[in-house]
Amino acid sequence: MTEYLLDVQDIHTFIGQYHILQGVNVRVPQGSITALLGRNGAGKTTTLKSILGLTPPRQGNVRFARQELRGLASFDIAALGIGFVPEHRAIFRDLTVEENLRIAERRKGDYARKQAFIFSLFPDLKRLIGLSGGALSGGQQQMLAIARALVPDNRLLLIDEPSEGLAPVIIEHMMAAIRQLAADATIVLVEQNFLVASQLAETYVIIEEGRSVQAGAMKDLVNDKATIHRYLGAA
Amino acid sequence: MNTFLRKNLLLIITLAVLAGFLAAAGRSMETSDFVITLLRGLSVGALTFLVASGFSLIFGLLDVLNLAHGTLFMIGAYVGWTVYVRPDTFVDLVTPLALLISGFVLADGWRHLAARVPTAGRWRGLAPWLGFAIAALLLVYILPRYPIAIWDVDDYAQSPVAYSLAASQGEVTPPPAATFTEIAPLVAVLGLFVSSALAAFSLALLRSTGQAGRALTWRSFVRITLVLLVGLGALIFNDALTAWLFALNTNWLFVVAVAVSVATGAALGGLMEVTLIRPLYVRPIYQLMLTLGLSVIGTELVRAIWGRPEFTMPKPELFAGTGEGCPATSFGDWLTYHCSTIILFDGRVRVYNEIFIPLVGLVVLISIWIVLKRSRLGMIIRAGVQDRQMVEALGINVRRVFTQVFALGVGLAALGGVLAAPSIGLSNTMGESFLLNALIALAIGGLTSYPGAALGSVLVGLLQQFMIKYGQIGIPIPFTEILFKPTPPIVPASTVLLMVIVLLIMPNGLLGKKE
Repeated sequence: MTEYLLDVQDIHTFIGQYHILQGVNVRVPQGSITALLGRNGAGKTTTLKSILGLTPPRQGNVRFARQELRGLASFDIAALGIGFVPEHRAIFRDLTVEENLRIAERRKGDYARKQAFIFSLFPDLKRLIGLSGGALSGGQQQMLAIARALVPDNRLLLIDEPSEGLAPVIIEHMMAAIRQLAADATIVLVEQNFLVASQLAETYVIIEEGRSVQAGAMKDLVNDKATIHRYLGAA
Repeated sequence: MNTFLRKNLLLIITLAVLAGFLAAAGRSMETSDFVITLLRGLSVGALTFLVASGFSLIFGLLDVLNLAHGTLFMIGAYVGWTVYVRPDTFVDLVTPLALLISGFVLADGWRHLAARVPTAGRWRGLAPWLGFAIAALLLVYILPRYPIAIWDVDDYAQSPVAYSLAASQGEVTPPPAATFTEIAPLVAVLGLFVSSALAAFSLALLRSTGQAGRALTWRSFVRITLVLLVGLGALIFNDALTAWLFALNTNWLFVVAVAVSVATGAALGGLMEVTLIRPLYVRPIYQLMLTLGLSVIGTELVRAIWGRPEFTMPKPELFAGTGEGCPATSFGDWLTYHCSTIILFDGRVRVYNEIFIPLVGLVVLISIWIVLKRSRLGMIIRAGVQDRQMVEALGINVRRVFTQVFALGVGLAALGGVLAAPSIGLSNTMGESFLLNALIALAIGGLTSYPGAALGSVLVGLLQQFMIKYGQIGIPIPFTEILFKPTPPIVPASTVLLMVIVLLIMPNGLLGKKE
């Protein structure tokens, strides 16, 4: 049996009275990029939030690096080494770019240590460092959101919709950055844009109406036009 | 710069109109009156700000409307008074309090022990409650017999009023010390420690899920040693400590009183958040009811302990001089003679009320501003006000930050209370009026804006004081012979009116952010 860095087993999550996730399984091998695919409202974002405990699953198990996450608070889960890049970026508008990065420190000196790497990945951030987060454009905010997840030593990155609302040139830049990150970390990616997802990810999980319905290697899916059409609409 | 002007045009116009009113208010009264009224306004504004800033920090980050904030302001005043006028009571209380805390300081250790206890079994469910019961019995036996020298609300000669009077006349005769007569000191000390430890262990048992918690670190040992040292030290050196505090210069005693009061406020705030507020984050309405209930309970407790009559807290020596060279004509003179009043623009200004309090308010304003802008805690607060979930997702222990912010907010309120005590005196209702002032100030300034809290508080303070002043001298209505004198009920009403006008023009308050 292969050892998975992240092993989500049959989780069920409720938001209020709504049974959003009704059995999702996601297995993420160490060092890979896994894409969660599916239509709008299928439960991809909720899956990410359930892993982090922001919407704790009522049933099922999440194991990260062999540790059971049930009952842990979100901040304890994140502190195990999970970085989160949420949908719509969630940049702190009242904090400067630098503070947005500094706040992610888990140990003193994290920011100082990672600074060079972050700026090599996103050179633009360097000149924006003193601006407030609210003054950035969408693409700049997306870079900052990813950079923020890189400040502490994270073993797993959960990235939600990195290409949403961005211009094609910037998407290219983002993809290059994510590819570079995959060398050190394991990534779970939620992506509506199948073209982007198929070029980045090695494995995929399709989520349909709160259930994971299919998983496998991305290179097999790319040629499986029927499946793509059935679950993801036009490809 | 141009865009800045355009964006804030409404704010600038509003502030200009308000400044215009202030200038107009000044023209129709004498300079000395104007200066005094201005300083009084700033003084009330500073005290209001101490309540409002804590309230707004708590509301901004935790979404908790802490209606008990005014009561905690009042408790700060009474605690400060106790340390200042009856240091012997304070010293007597240190030992039992430290012992009661001591068991809970070892929480990590208890959690470890509790994890070893098998989670099943008939006695397992009952054991914690048995522990609580024994702890409670011990307390019921020991506490009434524990000697604490305290005033007597029912006996005028021994009441807080009488002690305040004596202290303000400089008659510092330490009241008779309380001694162990009904219970042996060793029994009392051990009993309190055991009962606290038992309660803490029972709590750990109750919460235990069978998983081992964090490892015991040397920090727990340092903490327990410190707590026990303080507790036992206060017991052994009780007489010496009391005598020292009674002989202490009132300026320093006042500093001690302020420190103890702020620490008590912070501790109460932290305790309140951890035990009562935390379980109710998912039920905001219950939280509101809870804080309202707590404010009533707090007021009744204060009435039971300190009595209903109002009394004053004497001013520290630095601000109490009346003899030779007083009132001072310059700050140099004031430094020499420590006068209670000083002549400014031909008017007699009370130094403590009208200069010291606004100065402290300013210092607090700047210090908290620096904390918010420069420290990691401040960064987390500013981020959390916008998006709590994301802060949590970064791996930051928001629970701890919540507790810290609650403690900070209540500590600020307690500081306001103890500062207000020598100026306006102590009463069971002092909290309510300041809470109301603070709420109006926050509505005017912007609910979660820190500079807004300051601006709103100053506006409320100024408006109130000018209204009071015009109640005496009257406002001549133009083109008529009528002299309009605002009656006392108009004073609070005027601040509400200002709030209504500001909210009609700027629904988020002057400096509030659009949601």
